[in-house]
Amino acid sequence: MPKLIVDGTEVEVEDGITLLQACEEAGAEIPRFCYHDRLSIAGNCRMCLVEVKGAPKPQASCALSVNDLRPGPNGEPPEVLTGSAQVKKAREGVMEFLLINHPLDCPICDQGGECDLQDQAMAYGIDKNRYAENKRAVEDKYIGPLVKTIMTRCIHCTRCVRFTTEVAGIHELGAIGRGEDMEITTYLEKSMSSELQGNVIDLCPVGALTSRPYAFSARPWELRKTESIDVMDALGSATRIDSRGREVMRVMPRLNEDVNEEWISDKARFIWDGLRSQRLDRPYVRENGALREASWAEAFEVIAERVKASDPSRMAAIAGDLSAVEDMFALKDLMDALGVKSIDCRQDGSALGEAGGRAGYLFNAGLAGVEDADAILLVGTNPRLEAAVLNARIRKTWLRTRLPIGVIGEQADLTYDYDYLGAGAETLSEVASGKHKFAQVLKRAERPMIIVGQGALNRGDGRAVLAQVVSAAQASGAIGENWNGFCVLHDAAARVGGLDICFLPRLEGGRNVGEILQGASAGDIDVVYLLGADEIDMKKFGSAFVIYQGSHGDAGAHRADVILPGAAFSEKSGTYVNTEGRVQLARRAVFPPGDAREDWAILRALSAVLGHTLPYNTLEQLRAALREECPHLAATDEKPDATTSELGDLAGAPKRARAAGFTSPVDDYYLTNAITRASKVMAECSALRTAGQSEEGTGTDG
Amino acid sequence: MNFILQLFTWWNGQTLGTRFFTWRKGERVGEDGFGNVYYRERKGRRRWVIYNGLAEPSTVPAEWHGWLHYTVDVLPSEQDYTAHDWQKPHRPNMTGTTAAYRPEGSVLTAAERPAATGDYEAWRP
Repeated sequence: MPKLIVDGTEVEVEDGITLLQACEEAGAEIPRFCYHDRLSIAGNCRMCLVEVKGAPKPQASCALSVNDLRPGPNGEPPEVLTGSAQVKKAREGVMEFLLINHPLDCPICDQGGECDLQDQAMAYGIDKNRYAENKRAVEDKYIGPLVKTIMTRCIHCTRCVRFTTEVAGIHELGAIGRGEDMEITTYLEKSMSSELQGNVIDLCPVGALTSRPYAFSARPWELRKTESIDVMDALGSATRIDSRGREVMRVMPRLNEDVNEEWISDKARFIWDGLRSQRLDRPYVRENGALREASWAEAFEVIAERVKASDPSRMAAIAGDLSAVEDMFALKDLMDALGVKSIDCRQDGSALGEAGGRAGYLFNAGLAGVEDADAILLVGTNPRLEAAVLNARIRKTWLRTRLPIGVIGEQADLTYDYDYLGAGAETLSEVASGKHKFAQVLKRAERPMIIVGQGALNRGDGRAVLAQVVSAAQASGAIGENWNGFCVLHDAAARVGGLDICFLPRLEGGRNVGEILQGASAGDIDVVYLLGADEIDMKKFGSAFVIYQGSHGDAGAHRADVILPGAAFSEKSGTYVNTEGRVQLARRAVFPPGDAREDWAILRALSAVLGHTLPYNTLEQLRAALREECPHLAATDEKPDATTSELGDLAGAPKRARAAGFTSPVDDYYLTNAITRASKVMAECSALRTAGQSEEGTGTDG
Repeated sequence: MNFILQLFTWWNGQTLGTRFFTWRKGERVGEDGFGNVYYRERKGRRRWVIYNGLAEPSTVPAEWHGWLHYTVDVLPSEQDYTAHDWQKPHRPNMTGTTAAYRPEGSVLTAAERPAATGDYEAWRP
């Protein structure tokens, strides 16, 4: 543990950290542009210069290890000065050099107000300019529909290049030329292909890379910031929703080391324009085959009539992928009060939650646990598409330890090397029975991890696949006292919450999603209540009476007989449980449009009309009831340690699975739910990716 | 009265100095529809206008404006000048009156303001 004196105070710091980190620990603030905690060290901006006693010149503290400092003549600890006259002069000089070629367009720059260069020029720069020469001008590059470039502003910190190469794992962004003529660009100005590319906007310390959809639309100081949770995938990444008036202007990541570090996926970041279009803002009732606008009372009356005419055994409810736990809880209570047994939250038809306890459907090792694993087997999942941020973490672990990774399922580009074991259940059973050589790899590993995706579970034989995965985990010692490497990777934000409150078919006579659809087409089901459920085949509902409650006009609204306009995730305070079982609160940033209401309130109002008034009048009362029934939902922002005792039950199921290969449930990353389908930005990205794929097929793109 | 106005103000037709100069050197060349009278120097190239009433330069019509600013040397009365159909008749500056111009979206107009924020596109069946 080296000791050093920073500005007169002696500190003892960890071995191997940089001088910059040591100074931060000692409480000294060091300005920087190129240095970033999560990226490799470049040392090219020179803004972090400090004075080291004994060194002839100022030292770049980001690139100097504390172990390399020499002690004083009498063995006293090395002394570092961060506020001396020399340091001040050095910083002023660096800042002056940086500003030689930086345009003075702060008033029209989107970074204005949250710009590192602006702030640091104020704090560490000088107040005049000694250069009369013309400034360098650089042509703007096209690097995709999400990131806008104004390359004249670039100060060549190369954070974006290091991020895309190291974290995102795409070698597409780079620098050409050198010195003053260096330019950041993609090869031949092709658009970037990463699902994490939006993060370079946050990383860029100046306004060279800014958000294209957000361009020129708001200033950071006029935005209201609401801490929320991303619902585009099941990771529950921490986000901040920036809104102005009643409009969501952008979504930014928040720091959460255990979930998303500080990255979020592009879908989470650029989804906000979908929150403005295709909104359901008033109730509708279908009359003579056409939907007409109606009042809430009318819509409720129509529902009450149909419900009274039907029988609980002929009714069903399905919860969608974006519903908050509170909404599903209210719907479940209403259905229980009516005596309806066919309720299901697993739109994709997976068999999770039926046995095995809570550990049977959670990402038990935890998202941060990926970094402790020493062997990973991916079954029927493409984490790059299903959970892009998790994929970055797997890549990070792989870069650090080169751990063996096996894949059963699709052979996709995951940004790290892996052993492709096979396509489907046959290979899985070989691994489970120990015949496959990767089984030995797992067995030798101390903390093996088996990640099973929905692609393997949402098939008819999902139960059998799950049984094989569990027995593979048991055989390889993945399920133990201190380590549970059995991990289910969900792809829907609402799924774990729904399973937690047991939004599942009741034991006697309850139908699951597949059976509900069958029953509806056969005429056995009269009334179906869809809570934001859009990913099911609406044609199969036949002549059933479909009630759709949701925020966006998508598949469900087109089929519905009554539409109840609900709130999107940004417009209600809701609980979401992520794939590792972490309970998180998404707060309300704006209000729902038009006549739309918060979903639990709609269900509460409807319950009064149906004559089974739910016993809560406020969200707090609802949450109290929810926490009474499911106590573990009261512990927010904690990764639970689910008991593994019941996991064995899962392995006991029939193990014969179909031979067909596993395919990822996400075939188009940019279009996975109703909000993404309403977003123009997502549509553009999707079209670009599809075009890119077909272009590659022709072999004409160089 | 006129004499006192011309002695103390500059915005009522002409000043005494202009009147004296016009009497000494001026040659009247014409008059426009508003009653503004145009002069030029008899042995020089100066051109000037004496307004009818309030000195309001925007009342100078386009044809006289060209001559007055030495853009053309031919007097409007000596050429067959016809106004284009897109030339609007003169309208005095209305700033400060109720007829003042208010841009679209101004809080001072009664008209409905165009929506600026908080909009969403509603889904229609």
